[in-house]
Amino acid sequence: MPQTTLKTLAILNTKAPYSSTAGKDALDIALIFGSFEQPVALFFQGEGVRQLISGQDGSMINVKDYLKTFAAFEFYDIEEIYVCQTSLAQRGLVDDFHIDGVQVLNRQDFAQKLTAQQTILRF
Amino acid sequence: MTTLHIVRQSVFNSDDFSQCIQVLGINDVITFIDDGCYNLQHSLISTIDKSLNIQLTVIEQHANARAIAIDENIIAKITMKDLVTLTFANNTVITWQ
Repeated sequence: MPQTTLKTLAILNTKAPYSSTAGKDALDIALIFGSFEQPVALFFQGEGVRQLISGQDGSMINVKDYLKTFAAFEFYDIEEIYVCQTSLAQRGLVDDFHIDGVQVLNRQDFAQKLTAQQTILRF
Repeated sequence: MTTLHIVRQSVFNSDDFSQCIQVLGINDVITFIDDGCYNLQHSLISTIDKSLNIQLTVIEQHANARAIAIDENIIAKITMKDLVTLTFANNTVITWQ
């Protein structure tokens, strides 16, 4: 039997949560890959870092609050979640996230982790 | 003659807000809505020429949904209904989006 190795997938989130469907689309892809036990790593950069900030509530503006679903990552074995420290700092944000297990990486480490994945989808 | 500037984009994503600041007139009004609320967290807001007496407003619901703190000493919280009133109270409206 030939050995098959699973390809690693990175999902790069670069958009704020509520003004486009990019974040929700990225989440759907992540959960689909997770449910088929494919290795997925999530990256948050630029305005995408806002998806992780606690205290948000999309229901106030009649947007389905998909951010709450982030809490399910562990059930899909999605454990690699990286956020760009530079992007947080540029926005005056601190590492107050609404999920656990988020790793804050400096620009260099973030780039290194991201480009180490075999496939990268940007949203 | 005053203008209502409706800012919908984050300065972290586009230079709409920078362009808006460049064309402000005396007693103009800026309303931050949607992702424009993120501009409250950017230093660009402090570069607005104070001598122009610009009235800064934000849709409270939009800022709260995004967990953005509002400093009421600088910016007034308004509703969508208030925004409609502002469109009538000013001579022209520019939507920055």
